[in-house]
Amino acid sequence: MSEKKGLLSGGYEKVVRNKRYIFWFWLLNLTLAEFGVAAFRNQAHAILDNSLYSGGLVHGFDLGVFSEMLARPEFGPMMASTMPALYFAQVFFVFAVLFLPGVFLGYASNYRLPRDEFFRACGRNLWRFVRLLIVAGIVMGIVTGILFGIRGALVKAAGESTNELLGFEVSMACLLVIFLVMTVMRIWFDLAEVDIVLSDQKKVRKSIGASFRHTFRHLGRLLASYVVTTIVAGIILMAGIWLWRHGVAAPRVGRAFVVSQLTLGLLLIPRFWQRGIAVAYWQREMAHAVVPPVVPLPVAS
Amino acid sequence: MKIERLILFFPAVLVVGYSLVLMGHGAKAAAPLQAKAAATAPAKAGAAAGAMAKSASVASGTGAVSIPDTTIAVNSDKPMSERVVHYEIDAKYDAAKHTVDATEVLTYHNLTGQALDHFPFHLYQNAFQPKATFVRDAKLMGSRDSAYAKWEDKFYGSEDIKSLEVVGQGDLTAQLQYMQPDDGNKDDKTVVDLRVPKPIAPGAYVQFKIAFQTKFPETQARSGWKRDFVLGGQWFPKVGVWWHGAWNCHQYHNTTEFFADFGVYDVKLTVPDYEVVGASGVQVSDAANSDGTKTYTYHGDDIHDFAWTASPRYKVKEDGVFQGQMGPVKLRFLMQPAHWSQAERHEKIVKDTMERFEKWYGPYPYKTLTVVDPEPDSAAGGMEYPTFITGDASWFAPKGEHIFPEVVVEHEFGHQYWYGMVATNEFEDAWMDEGINSYTEVKVMDSIFGEDSSMLRMAGMTLGEREAQRGGYIGVADLDSMAEKAYEYYSSNAYAGITYGKTASVLLTLEGIIGEDTMAKAMSVYFMKYRFTHPTKEDFLKTIEEVSGKDLRWYFKQAVYGTQVLDYEVSKLSSFPVNWYEDEKKGAGKKKDDKDTVYLSTVWLHRKEDFVLPVELEVKFTNGEKVREHWDGQSRWVKFQYEKKAKVESAEIDPDHKIQLDRNFFNNSRTAEADPKPARKVSNYWLFVTQWLGQALAWWAV
Repeated sequence: MSEKKGLLSGGYEKVVRNKRYIFWFWLLNLTLAEFGVAAFRNQAHAILDNSLYSGGLVHGFDLGVFSEMLARPEFGPMMASTMPALYFAQVFFVFAVLFLPGVFLGYASNYRLPRDEFFRACGRNLWRFVRLLIVAGIVMGIVTGILFGIRGALVKAAGESTNELLGFEVSMACLLVIFLVMTVMRIWFDLAEVDIVLSDQKKVRKSIGASFRHTFRHLGRLLASYVVTTIVAGIILMAGIWLWRHGVAAPRVGRAFVVSQLTLGLLLIPRFWQRGIAVAYWQREMAHAVVPPVVPLPVAS
Repeated sequence: MKIERLILFFPAVLVVGYSLVLMGHGAKAAAPLQAKAAATAPAKAGAAAGAMAKSASVASGTGAVSIPDTTIAVNSDKPMSERVVHYEIDAKYDAAKHTVDATEVLTYHNLTGQALDHFPFHLYQNAFQPKATFVRDAKLMGSRDSAYAKWEDKFYGSEDIKSLEVVGQGDLTAQLQYMQPDDGNKDDKTVVDLRVPKPIAPGAYVQFKIAFQTKFPETQARSGWKRDFVLGGQWFPKVGVWWHGAWNCHQYHNTTEFFADFGVYDVKLTVPDYEVVGASGVQVSDAANSDGTKTYTYHGDDIHDFAWTASPRYKVKEDGVFQGQMGPVKLRFLMQPAHWSQAERHEKIVKDTMERFEKWYGPYPYKTLTVVDPEPDSAAGGMEYPTFITGDASWFAPKGEHIFPEVVVEHEFGHQYWYGMVATNEFEDAWMDEGINSYTEVKVMDSIFGEDSSMLRMAGMTLGEREAQRGGYIGVADLDSMAEKAYEYYSSNAYAGITYGKTASVLLTLEGIIGEDTMAKAMSVYFMKYRFTHPTKEDFLKTIEEVSGKDLRWYFKQAVYGTQVLDYEVSKLSSFPVNWYEDEKKGAGKKKDDKDTVYLSTVWLHRKEDFVLPVELEVKFTNGEKVREHWDGQSRWVKFQYEKKAKVESAEIDPDHKIQLDRNFFNNSRTAEADPKPARKVSNYWLFVTQWLGQALAWWAV
């Protein structure tokens, strides 16, 4: 129990010590999303700005007005405004891949990591991360594919039952299992990412193997830590939406923006916390295997 | 030997002859007795006696054949409709095979004024076959239910006539011929025609004795089985309607519903004894059989169809009574166990709706209403049959959401008026039942839940009924007219959008033209005048003209019979100082006080489409002044000019929001200054979703 608390608090400490990473990732997230919604925003302004009918969206949220806006030919096909959002979500993912090595290095350091070291770590580990992601993608794809396939079959079978709720209950139970399995895999590949960066491991398969063994060696501690942080994320999301709904008057667009961004900013914390946990775990359990120190010393300036 | 035979033969002849005479008298005496019993005895006993007496008359084949004038199932002491048919059906349901084996005695009263030498019958369940028109339509036009991407055995349904006898003319089974009056599809067997050797004289009765088997598909088009549930709709051979000098008996299409004559139904339904059963009409008896089955007997008066349902798992709520204008109406709710907590919601919406329909349009005359909450995931939800409707509910039903069950139950109850009693031709004039019903749905739901949230008020979002109806129409506005036959629409979406959404919008707009009170009066007059008949489009439209005292042909021609699209816009606004050159002389930056400046303000209106409708315009100025204008809408555009010591702030066509038919509400108004708030608000939502998507992807993938 104390070890688990240690992992959680150790990880959290790293997040708090390196708050700037969360800020930058939030800013990156916001900036990319701004590009993603540009088409949607332009079309919305063109239709709504000079019409009294659009008032139904200000003092409440009239779904009739909203759906009519989406249905207007001048709004264009839905794909034209929604696809950019999906593209930019993927670009954010790419940036996350690119910058995470720097974050790991920062979390492992007991000093404020200079920018050049941060980006050097990003560059040095980029190709390794790409390879790791390919492996992770294949493994996670296969496992989740199988699990969702089983879920589909079970839900279909349950759907034939005369107990109407059974299908829903089976679906929820399956999703819980899938969540736990995916979290285990997330832990595995998080540890592998950390190991690649902090061990300066060129052979990705070695990090994958080591982290696999460690994942299952201390599964309870790690899984509990990850589940707790996921629950925190859920609470943040629910609380943010609740505050948005009940704490912000419908016409106050500026306040709504602040609350929504605050929610999204806070929502980044649990994931970085998980990475902090992975780094803390690596330092306690896996670091001994590393012979040469991999963290480059800061260059005095 | 001969003498012995004669001795035996003569007493036998005497006995048989005397018996026949007695039976004839008995049968003749039975009809008045039956009516008397119905009027005086309790419903159950009366109906049972009536049904039995009638059966005796039919069985003898010698009695005076007639349509019973019973009033067991209505709160009336005399029949309310001109009764053309009497169906007596004895059916046994095989729950394992999903089949019904039945005998049907149909008594038909020839009120056509001419001799009839052939009779078409609907065999609706034959629609559920891969080459049938119904399935082809679904593949071509799309469908509310299955689009039949892949054919599965469970989709198969059939309705086979095993034998057919016309009393007095013998077995005519061999004379039956399938016909395809709509599309000539020789593989469609949903209509069968019977040519009778001896034509039936005007005013005469004819009896058909039919033995048939129906096999239900897994629920298709609100009929069939799902798991251990069954909804028996359109399940027996039904004779067509003689309408305007010809038989009207269309094939069953994916977008069509039904059409039938009023009459009396006596139905015996034998099902496994574990089933909970509900049906049209009143239940007059139930009896356990020795083979583990139970037989329920139902009687219906002044109805034109009969549907039933069975499931072992229904939970029944039947303590509700609605005190109608003509008498009490017993409400029976057959609920799914997981929806039991919603039984009160079902009852409340039914009572609220009945109250409004009685107040606005006329009385509900039947003694019963059965509301079925059908099997989840079945295609049985949202259907109307006389005195019997299916709702649609889910175990998850938050309070602010009024679509399931409220809107569905309200809509299906509305069909008791617009289909059940005002029995329009659903094949040809679908808008007259679905559309008029959608209009009254808007009126009822708005009055119960409020105009802006009659469908939804949840999580800060609202949705009104009239917006939802209009939303279905605007995407298909120019494809078909309301007057199109239901099976000749461009697509399933066009059928739904025009039939339901456009009709509701057309009638709401009409309400704006003739006034809400006049429209309500017209609807009431229409209902009272045409209940228990088969009115046409013109019957409805002329009633509105008569009640309003207005010639509305110009409107009906475009809105009902045409495909014209209505779209007016405020295309431009302009305000500049009349003495604009003086400001220029004074130079930039020296702005004169607005209060002293006289502005020339201009508002341009543009009729973008081909629907011509007079419109009101409201122009608002920066000093708060408002000016109303009227434009006949005839020309393509018009401009209104003002010289005032204020600029134009905004202009709005239809400021009282009466024209629900306009395809684009956004361009109905224009403001001089842009207000970015609405766009910022919706963009902020989209921004949040986009960011969250990015985070979620990064969470799991890296």
